[in-house]
Amino acid sequence: MSSCVLDKETFRHCCQLLLQLSEQLGDCWCWVPVQDSQDGYLRKTALRLVTIDSRPFGDQAESSSELGPHNSCLSGPDVQQNDQDQSALIGSANGDIIRGDIEDQDNKDNRDGDDGEDRICRMCEGSSQVLQYEYHILFSCSYRAPVLYFRVCTLEGRSLSLEEVWGSIHPNFRLCLQTSPFTMVTQQEHPLLGQAFFMLHPCRTEDFMRPLLQAAQDQNSPTGSCLITWAKLCLTRESCTYFQLCPREKSDMV
Amino acid sequence: YEDEDNRKKRLLLPRVSYLTLVTDKVKKHFLKVMKQEDMEEMWFEYEGTPLKWHYPIGVLFDLHASNTVLPWSITVHFKNFPDRDLLRCPSHSVIEAHFMSSIKEADALKHKSQVVNDMQKKDHKQLWMGLQNDKFDQFWAMNRKLMEYPTEEGGFRYIPFRIYQTMSDRPFIQKLFRPVSPEGNTHTLGSLLKEMYPAAIPNEVCPDDFQKRYQVVIHGIEPLLETPLQWLSEHLSHPDNFLHICIVPTPTD
Repeated sequence: MSSCVLDKETFRHCCQLLLQLSEQLGDCWCWVPVQDSQDGYLRKTALRLVTIDSRPFGDQAESSSELGPHNSCLSGPDVQQNDQDQSALIGSANGDIIRGDIEDQDNKDNRDGDDGEDRICRMCEGSSQVLQYEYHILFSCSYRAPVLYFRVCTLEGRSLSLEEVWGSIHPNFRLCLQTSPFTMVTQQEHPLLGQAFFMLHPCRTEDFMRPLLQAAQDQNSPTGSCLITWAKLCLTRESCTYFQLCPREKSDMV
Repeated sequence: YEDEDNRKKRLLLPRVSYLTLVTDKVKKHFLKVMKQEDMEEMWFEYEGTPLKWHYPIGVLFDLHASNTVLPWSITVHFKNFPDRDLLRCPSHSVIEAHFMSSIKEADALKHKSQVVNDMQKKDHKQLWMGLQNDKFDQFWAMNRKLMEYPTEEGGFRYIPFRIYQTMSDRPFIQKLFRPVSPEGNTHTLGSLLKEMYPAAIPNEVCPDDFQKRYQVVIHGIEPLLETPLQWLSEHLSHPDNFLHICIVPTPTD
């Protein structure tokens, strides 16, 4: 557990590794330095065509949700920890889990000849639009862990509400997120920019990193490779690979 | 009593509370002169700056209007919510979530979260209800646990603090800082600022400059720089368990 706790220098070093991986994978993460200090954070922006499920919050869930449309906090009921939950959680930390970007490998067999967008539109009610996603990975010195901040805007600059962001997540993932005990997303002030972002709570980071760390340790790997695994999770666009990622599959690690 | 001018509403606000927690009366007041359907989420602004409701009211005042004459004139808006700059506040439960999140973060710094995690949910609720209903004893019955530390340690692990200033883009400075140095010296407000914001300490930057350039303000007062940081953390923290420190330019008369 203690090897999951980072310090700033290790975080910075791992971000450099992340950036190398990003380049290899053809992803577009970059390092943003903070003026007058060695601090900084990772950033990625992406434009995506997304269909937002515009149904009310409660209706979107296939399982019951204890939250109404006016809560700004998403969290699922407490369930027993199992691998499925953790891989779903891992999926949720990656911003690529939105309808427009999913390869939909698991639906290939079910394809009935329509193209991807038609299939997506049939899954829900709502309109398609291009949205701008922005992800930041910062280091929280209070929790000694990396924290994911993100925001979503229309091209006109309107920020999406949490309900709308929720509605843009693929139904399969949404279901898993809701049943996972770890997904806490709230609106927060970005500590460096002072603007409104959504944040994935860092106090849970250690919980879901634990199985990864275990796997990394089983391979006699230091903390660095645990973070490389985190990096791979954040960077790859193969969201379905995430979803299937199981801590016992050591071949996927490092 | 009612103001004759229905475009104004006067309130006495607690420094330690939050704007959206104590301004339901404001919304009700303006409902008299506006149609409900024209009113979107209420937000506050002072001299062009949207006010962050998740900052304690006293911090907002010290930061933006510390050397102005009371009453503090804030403009209330019901349209054009600046959703890039301000967090949404659709209900009081959002304020509660923010408040508890600050308390948890403060305890992560002070006690590696041990004290707050040992508390039950009803204890957390008591902290919030104490703040919301202005019940000092109810609040402190729980909060005193968050202010304890092992005697051999000499203080908290790290001091929860945030330094605000309007002169830079960064909204605040928050870093790890211990109340006692490795050599066993007590850290003071001055030693914190020397590390985090040296420009605020007159002698460090301009020894010959008798006029202080900045004021270091906590709860509207300027504590002596020699004050021990541990003492400040125990006694001058806000209910969210953070020491909120404002650095403002000294007014030139």
